Amino acid sequence: MPRILLVEDNEMNRDMLSRRLIRKGFEVDMAVDGKAGVEKGRAGGYDLILMDMSLPEIDGWEATRQLRASPETKTVPIIALTAHAMAGDREKALEAGCNDYDTKPIELDRLLGKMNALLPPKPA
Amino acid sequence: MSHSAPGSNPVAALRHDLRTPVNHIVGYAEMLLEDLEGASNAARRAELESTIEAAREALKMISLVLAPTRDTIEPAEVSGLYHQLENPQHRILDAVHRLLAAAGEAPTATFVDDLKKIEAAAARLVPTAPSPGGMAPAAGTGAANGKARVLVVDDEAGNRDLLGRRLQREGYAVVSAAGGREALEVVTREAVDVVLLDVMMPDLDGLAVLEKLKADPATRDLPVIMISALDDLSAIARCIEAGALDYLPKPFEPVILRARLAASLAEKRFRDQERDLVRALGVVTAAASAVEAGAYQAGQLASLAQRPDAVGRLARVMDRMATGVGERESSLRGRLERLRAEIGHARKTQEVVSHVEEDRLGIGDTFAGRYRIEAVLGRGGMGTVYRGRDTELDETVAIKTLRPELVADDESRERFKDEIRLTRRITHRNVVRTHDFGESDGLWYITMEFVEGLTVRQLLDARGTLGVESALAIGSQLAESLGVAHATGVIHRDIKPQNLLLDPEGVLKVMDFGVARLARGATARHTQAGLIVGTPAYMSPEQLTGEEVDARSDLYSAGVVLFELLTGRLPLDGATVMALFAKVLSEDAPRPSTLVADVPPALDELVAQLLAKRPEDRVESATVMLERLQALA
Repeated sequence: MPRILLVEDNEMNRDMLSRRLIRKGFEVDMAVDGKAGVEKGRAGGYDLILMDMSLPEIDGWEATRQLRASPETKTVPIIALTAHAMAGDREKALEAGCNDYDTKPIELDRLLGKMNALLPPKPA
Repeated sequence: MSHSAPGSNPVAALRHDLRTPVNHIVGYAEMLLEDLEGASNAARRAELESTIEAAREALKMISLVLAPTRDTIEPAEVSGLYHQLENPQHRILDAVHRLLAAAGEAPTATFVDDLKKIEAAAARLVPTAPSPGGMAPAAGTGAANGKARVLVVDDEAGNRDLLGRRLQREGYAVVSAAGGREALEVVTREAVDVVLLDVMMPDLDGLAVLEKLKADPATRDLPVIMISALDDLSAIARCIEAGALDYLPKPFEPVILRARLAASLAEKRFRDQERDLVRALGVVTAAASAVEAGAYQAGQLASLAQRPDAVGRLARVMDRMATGVGERESSLRGRLERLRAEIGHARKTQEVVSHVEEDRLGIGDTFAGRYRIEAVLGRGGMGTVYRGRDTELDETVAIKTLRPELVADDESRERFKDEIRLTRRITHRNVVRTHDFGESDGLWYITMEFVEGLTVRQLLDARGTLGVESALAIGSQLAESLGVAHATGVIHRDIKPQNLLLDPEGVLKVMDFGVARLARGATARHTQAGLIVGTPAYMSPEQLTGEEVDARSDLYSAGVVLFELLTGRLPLDGATVMALFAKVLSEDAPRPSTLVADVPPALDELVAQLLAKRPEDRVESATVMLERLQALA
């Protein structure tokens, strides 16, 4: 069962996305801000991190950079989530070290497609 | 609530604040749909699907108005977006409320909770308080301090207390009244945003209060929600007919109370904005009528111009335009009046003397079979100009006879005919019309429109200088005529004060367009005869050196004229023609401001640029010259 870390400050987003992912067979852990996200991420063993970009304490861009700088999390796939859909957000996310990028409102199938592309193949 | 909004960009912040609830609505609704597999849930699934559809529509509206490429937005657009969002919002809330109402046998443990989350998210799509950065609430709105103010009218203290406390918990400010009369007093005394009105009350009942509120223009637009037991349907119907917006059945269902209050407040907000806009537009319309009537006062729209919305912008633009037009018109009027006074003065002080010596035609002669010669108007390098009567058309014309050496050969004549053909195409109030080119008894001639007036030369001789105002009036009309001629392909080649006529109204008429063309061809072949045609003082350097000239040569000449109008002297002068040549080719003209005071710097600069030695350094066209002169108005 893939272990996902969801870093998201909005309670409703967290509740919703985590429940939907659990239904799809993921194990979901959560962090409510960038600082906690980095700590949890380093402590570890996640297969993939979903990172909201607009976070209190330290934002998603910075949290991603810190995760990328740590040996434990250097290679963990990170997908950036943002509600802004600003022109250039995608480039900015990739530059910060994210592997992919998705916009809110989340289309679950689209997000699952991106997650599965980054996760190791399921054991038979 | 959200840490996420990037503070620097209000559009991005608002986009984020609005997309987040849509995200929630879609997410929870999709999750609920997954829970409700199976045929028995078809009706619920349909409600959830319509919820998702409405949310996606809302998302489209948000994306369209708050495009990622934008970083500023007018408050009116924000209000408009909220207004648009009300439709999907209501559809979502309606669907959720139907689902909640039928939730008796809730299919899952979290069903009701999740629906309430959708409801809460939908409520965030449209603010109940005045919109962030939105239009200022209309005067008298209790919502000005951020809390909407609800008046609860009920004769039962228990109901008042219950409803009041519930509303306060929801974030409303509450005032209450124990009866109809008290309620009417409260609304005249304080600002209220919505009234919750019990139907059954002693003394003055709900219907009577409602009728009084609706009859008074001051309270007519106040939303009123009736409170009633459900068995009182006929009374409710009468109240709705009398103008109540909605009704609340007792006992209150908090969800419905919240939704109806939110809806009626939104309604009131838009009605207030609408009234405010209608009033503001009335002020703008009145100002527009004043502009038409010439009675617009600068600053008339000052108070409206402060508004941050589209009406404010309209007021600012209109004030600027109306003020600008008024100033230009009055300065133009003043200038023409002064010019007319100059002309009147010059006419009195300077009699045009008619010489009749050595002219080929005599007064009273009939020429070319149709023109009766009436007077000699002047003589120049090209020939003599007469005033004549065209007996065929019965109108006065000017007839210019050409010196024989100018039209001695066929080639010159043909080229000149081409030029006249072009020149005849120019129809403009500032250009003297050319009629014909012909020959009679060996004498070649041109006929032209006859203009009664004075030449600028005569004015200058009489007055010395004409001053800035007249220079601008003459200069801009000259630029206009050159613009039209150049666009037709005609270069004047001999712009000088003698060729500029002013009619008694101050309208400038430029004479002899294209005529100088004849002189150039002729001079080349008659150098030994020492024929000097043209007026060296006004000729451009390239014209003096015999190069091919283009429209910019006329602009140089116009610069000399402007210089002379302002200063009363030529920019460059010499005791002999050769000395003048040398100066024009080598020396920079002084600035008019070095000779006379009060020349506006922009005019000083324009004259200097017209007098540039190299055509490519000059003001590039007559149109640009005109624009720059007009900007000085």
